[in-house]
Amino acid sequence: MVLVMESGIKPGVYLDYQSSKPVDPRVIEVMTPYFNEIFGNPSSLHLEGDKATVVLENCREKIAQFIGADTKEIIFTSSATESNNLALIGYTMRKKGKGNHIIISEVDHISIHNIAKYLEKNGLEVTRVPVDQYGRVSLKKLEARINERTILASIGYASNEIGTVQPMAEIADLLKRKGVALHTDAVAAEGLLPIDVRDVPVDLMSLSSNDIYGPKGLGVLYVKKGTGIAPMILGGGQERGLRSSTENLPAIAGMAKAAEIMGDELPQETSRLATYRDRLIKGVLESIPRSHLNGHPSERLPNNAHFRFEAIEGESLLLSLKDMGISASTGSACSSKTLEPSHTLIACGLLHEEAHGSLEFTFGRFNKDSDVDRVLETLPDIVERLRRLSPLYEKE
Amino acid sequence: MNMKSTQYSEKTLDHFRNPRNVGTLEGDDVAMGKVGNPVCGDLMEIYIQVEDDRIKDIAFQTFGCGSAVATSSMITELVKGMSLDEAMKVTRGDVAGALDGLPPIKMHCSNLAADALHAAIKNWREGIRPNDLSTEFPTYVGKGCAAPSEPIKGESEFQGNGVYNEEMDPSELADKRVLVFDTGVESAKLAVELEKHTGRVIFMTPSKEPAMDADLKKELKKSDVKILYESELKEIKGEGEVEKVVVYDLDEDNQYELFVDSVVILRPT
Repeated sequence: MVLVMESGIKPGVYLDYQSSKPVDPRVIEVMTPYFNEIFGNPSSLHLEGDKATVVLENCREKIAQFIGADTKEIIFTSSATESNNLALIGYTMRKKGKGNHIIISEVDHISIHNIAKYLEKNGLEVTRVPVDQYGRVSLKKLEARINERTILASIGYASNEIGTVQPMAEIADLLKRKGVALHTDAVAAEGLLPIDVRDVPVDLMSLSSNDIYGPKGLGVLYVKKGTGIAPMILGGGQERGLRSSTENLPAIAGMAKAAEIMGDELPQETSRLATYRDRLIKGVLESIPRSHLNGHPSERLPNNAHFRFEAIEGESLLLSLKDMGISASTGSACSSKTLEPSHTLIACGLLHEEAHGSLEFTFGRFNKDSDVDRVLETLPDIVERLRRLSPLYEKE
Repeated sequence: MNMKSTQYSEKTLDHFRNPRNVGTLEGDDVAMGKVGNPVCGDLMEIYIQVEDDRIKDIAFQTFGCGSAVATSSMITELVKGMSLDEAMKVTRGDVAGALDGLPPIKMHCSNLAADALHAAIKNWREGIRPNDLSTEFPTYVGKGCAAPSEPIKGESEFQGNGVYNEEMDPSELADKRVLVFDTGVESAKLAVELEKHTGRVIFMTPSKEPAMDADLKKELKKSDVKILYESELKEIKGEGEVEKVVVYDLDEDNQYELFVDSVVILRPT
């Protein structure tokens, strides 16, 4: 089996930052001492333990500041997926007596969809609120689905696939009026939009360390003061009893540094990424016939360009791009483990055959202007070649 | 080993990058086999030219993933020159084996290539030629493909909330996902018109080739209207307003849901 294809000519162009991000070298530097120099367990009462406690709480402070939260509102977990589990399962377990109905959106991350299915199996009622053709949740449709048994709504801040940003402030406002708690999976928007819980008052929010160029294996659940959740992982009572296990100090120190850097650099970085995105979108739509942009034309993440090309299939596109040293992503079923096309694209009203032809580029911190050129030089030929093979494409 | 869908053998990648025998064939000595469905992400057409009960020449066209392309290409190489009886015995295992194996999840692609070849041979033996295939399907032309006489489930419930039975001011539908059901030429004209007002218009027809003159057909195809052939509208659903429809795919004999905001079924008043 061939594991890595090297184009052998030009260095690789990585345009799949939504899948995984490299850790910023400045972050790695800060993490190193916590593997063997400051290695204590914050729960211990000796000197090494005290040192670790100070670091842990300083880091918590920095991460809280990054989203405008209070230190006590930050719970460390092992990943954003775990944060999603803790938020939905932990909250509904705690509020069982109050109601048994929750709402999620059709375009939420797959982890939210699968957690919701699990809750359904365990007796909860789940409603999925549809979106418009651009992937946006309508407030009217959301409101129509709230009933007296509704205890929680979980709406992703932005789509990790098509990049559409939800009207989160309005959603938070509506749910507050209705007395329904709001969880948001903010991972896709992290480091791309200024997220501040004072501006968008959510009750629960999932974050990931890697999505701001910190190490993997660390997530955060923001739990607003007064929001009760039941723990899922029981043990020594760390994280105010909500998430036991010895704290992953190197990763926490890394995420704190990553948050600090992101706090300083977000405005310049995102405006730079937005110029790449806009140039790519314009270039692709102009140079490739029968190509379309998926997601919202303006309310979209600054780093996301998501296309679909008629009569060709996404995995074939990815393979061909891979041969040219370009890494991208697709919502095609042929590249997924389940052989089902992206639920997000289907929710936007696309037919299966259209969802198969999708291609996603996501920019990040280490991209250059010339990376856009590489795609624009390469992609039109690839699309044309695959269309020549395709019985679906009507030759002009 | 848990292989990723894109971890292909060198040989598979070679056939994907440099597919052999791409194209179509024409002539009295040519038959074609077609399998798959774009809905599932794979569609294959294999053409064979037959002389003295042997495959003299072969060509293919494929819409699909890397292994769909590679298996089509491989099978054309495998069977070129074979007698029809020999070619009928080529299995999906032979195709996958010739490519040095495929990821398990991709085995169905090699199945398709063998099926398309076998279909071509069967068509040859039954005297069915490529041109017959396009006309073999029943069309609704001349049968008065008017509105379904029975109202569709949900049609009356959503009157005024997304269902339209007569022409409307197109600007009402700006930014909506509109499904126009084929009730004849007027509905096709309306679909083309609506496409100027909203980015998403789907024209759904039970037919394989909807009844309309060549100019309108050309206009429809040139526009961004998405045409959904061989499909029936089963149900309109939503929470107080139209949110999705249930579509029945006549060709594949299966049902699926499609998210839309409006449904237009022009009915004679």
